[in-house]
Amino acid sequence: MSAGNLSDSLAGFTILEIGEQPGDYAALLLAGLGAEVIKIEPREGTESRRIGPFVSESRDREESLFFWRYNLNKKSAVLDADAPSSASTLAALASRADIVLLSGEYETVRRRLPLWQKLAAENPRLIVCTITPFGLDGPYRELKTTDLVQMALGGIMAVCGYDPDKEHKYDTPPIAPAMWHSFHLGGEYAAIAIMAAINFRELTGEGQLIDVSVHEAVNTCTEIAIPTYIYSGQVVMRQTARHAATIITHARLTESADGVYMLASISPFVREQRALTELADQLGIAHVLGTAEFTQLDKDDAGAAALYRNDILVQIIAGLKADDLFHRAQSLGLAWSPIRRPEDNLNDPHFAARHTFAEIEHPEMGRTLRYPGTVASDGHDPHFSYTRRAPRLGEHTEEILRRAGVTQREKNL
Amino acid sequence: MSEHGAKPRRPLEGVRILDLTWLQVGPQATRLLATFGAQVIRIEWREHKAIDFIRYVPPFAPDHATAEGGRSQGVTRGRGIRGNYNRSAYFNNTNPGKYGITLNLNHPKGRDLLRRMVRDANAICENFSPGQMDKWGLGYEDLRKTNPRIIYMQTTGLGKAGVYRDYVSYGPTAQALSGLTFLSGLPEPRPPAGWGYSYLDHSPGYFGAIMLMAAIRRQRLEGSGCYIDMSQSETGLMLSGTSTLEHQLTGKPTARCGNRMPYRDWSPHGAYRCSGEDHWIAISIQSDDQWRALVEEMDKPAWALDARFATAASREQHEDDLDAKLTAYTIGCDRYQLMNRLQARGIPAGVVQKAPDRFDRDPQLKARGYFVDLPQSDIGTWPVEGFPAKLSRSPADVGGLTHRAAPKLGEDNELVFGELVGLSMAEIATLREEGVI
Repeated sequence: MSAGNLSDSLAGFTILEIGEQPGDYAALLLAGLGAEVIKIEPREGTESRRIGPFVSESRDREESLFFWRYNLNKKSAVLDADAPSSASTLAALASRADIVLLSGEYETVRRRLPLWQKLAAENPRLIVCTITPFGLDGPYRELKTTDLVQMALGGIMAVCGYDPDKEHKYDTPPIAPAMWHSFHLGGEYAAIAIMAAINFRELTGEGQLIDVSVHEAVNTCTEIAIPTYIYSGQVVMRQTARHAATIITHARLTESADGVYMLASISPFVREQRALTELADQLGIAHVLGTAEFTQLDKDDAGAAALYRNDILVQIIAGLKADDLFHRAQSLGLAWSPIRRPEDNLNDPHFAARHTFAEIEHPEMGRTLRYPGTVASDGHDPHFSYTRRAPRLGEHTEEILRRAGVTQREKNL
Repeated sequence: MSEHGAKPRRPLEGVRILDLTWLQVGPQATRLLATFGAQVIRIEWREHKAIDFIRYVPPFAPDHATAEGGRSQGVTRGRGIRGNYNRSAYFNNTNPGKYGITLNLNHPKGRDLLRRMVRDANAICENFSPGQMDKWGLGYEDLRKTNPRIIYMQTTGLGKAGVYRDYVSYGPTAQALSGLTFLSGLPEPRPPAGWGYSYLDHSPGYFGAIMLMAAIRRQRLEGSGCYIDMSQSETGLMLSGTSTLEHQLTGKPTARCGNRMPYRDWSPHGAYRCSGEDHWIAISIQSDDQWRALVEEMDKPAWALDARFATAASREQHEDDLDAKLTAYTIGCDRYQLMNRLQARGIPAGVVQKAPDRFDRDPQLKARGYFVDLPQSDIGTWPVEGFPAKLSRSPADVGGLTHRAAPKLGEDNELVFGELVGLSMAEIATLREEGVI
């Protein structure tokens, strides 16, 4: 590992994680930077263990791929976070913890919060972070939500989907573009706020309460939609695989010879025009690009010239397999890419060279699985490090209770 | 601590960030650091080709908006006032709380000046094409000789290391490669819907802020530097859910599922059309109890009592038909009234809100003070998007140290080059004449 690698930058930090999905992801990010994450689970396991897909039809709580993906590196202790009998154990854990993450519906988090505020008074360095659908106050705080509902209310769905017809009427619904994305956003912002609170604590010695709203987190992320409305009163329209805009822009999804959609476009820049000509020549496509005749057309009728170029572009894309096209276009400086499935990257040499995927052993299955494991490198190694599969339910209960000073006899009571 | 009237402290007080980022992918991370009190100095160059693209893409503030006014003067479509790079809405929303200077890195004196600033900086961020900073002699290996404690973050589409290190990419390119574009949309044979914006220009901002703050903490404690080669496509993979795992176990290619929920017994689950133009509501039924509550709310139509719809598994089997019948109901409903009625019965339901719904109407965003009014020196006071969490002791403040929205091009040259770098007014004037600043 090089100097400056961040994968141990939170070594020595202990996080108690109690709750549901957005907390899963926030703690996963911090675990990748070296924090120890202790997941406090009820006897039947957290809700995340009931989310598919599952390894087998039995839908066993130890076989949720959702749980596996979002709980790498963590420890699991079975302890009823709401039972009065757990209070002294939780207090002992809180006295040595740095961060407590409480996530879930407002009502659940509100009920749990007073205990943690009391424990924070005893350990003033403690950072308590709640992640709830709408935050701890406001008129919507008790609304029922799911990931889909948050993506709707938060504004992302309205800007994602398919083109309207010529009269700008839509016959397709707005689309939530990726599953669990509101939880990703809530979790990321929780991690950001926690990192700020950690820096604040280094200066002052003080912890604090962080109140994350998933609704607001989703709202931060619709790019130009809000500024466009605030400054001009206009509303952007969703369109297929392109930026939502106040006008409908030119469609550009085209399939390659092997049936993969390509993200490919040509700008009016001379460099890109040359690259297009070069590709057309390579494929033996008859064209007039680069001739005096075409230059004249471009001057007289830019729209017609653009249509002509687009026609050549479509022929080029249809004439090659996606990966061939990708590398040829890139070698000519065109920012094109196939629209891959995520798994198409598992065996890509680029991501192999960057150690993008973490190799995680699953001893129970006798095999190793590769998980997307980092977003950055220090030039040699990933800045996030994942080495342990998600914990089995209660796998670390003994260790954690021992640490809290609970003896076997007390536990049995 | 802020007791006894002392100035409240901020998490990143005393931290100076040199921000060479532009467009969207870099400035998001530095925006978040400014929010927590870092002194972010945005470095731009005034030559037309080098100006941040989003300074001159519409929308712009209305032409009548002045420094003393702003949104209160009324909203119309602005032309940007030709040649003025200080009126862009999107730029103003992306860069609040930052100082702005101009510096010509193609000029040797410009590069010297940057090295001088690096001496006293905590971090430098850039999102040029891979290799550009090295060409200027300003790459990490060069700058660490000037300041071994420097944190250097570079964001590119694919990453600076790796087989495709020379590949070119915009956010959408990286997003297509990562799998994130594919995942969005109705099932095949429909094409992917993708995202209605470049999500991978946002995501690195969040990861970037997390990593920078981890590095800053360690730098404060141990004096250590850090090099961060962030890859937009890797941030996309990080968000691709369980698809790579499922593929390794089953060998099946990942399939899109529209707005449905294949991983839980939740049905119906989707966006349903309501009365009004392009009005929709998202409904997620999580249990048979919720389904029965929905049937009650619809006044028990005969179709809904069909045995095919009695259990979640059966509803999922007949989901196309179910969606069509449910739509025949929702299409007669006002979207917000329906949301309120369903919520009153404990059913997760929410309007697919567009910008006016969020900005003008959403009572939750209003109550939480999500939009923050900030002044900009030419176009006056406009709301910018806020930070989605409340911190009890070190509140987020998108206005940062400047208490402003985005800087005008070179707005803080005198302050930064004078007070922070320590140049005299005469030196600054000379640099300006020489085309350095």
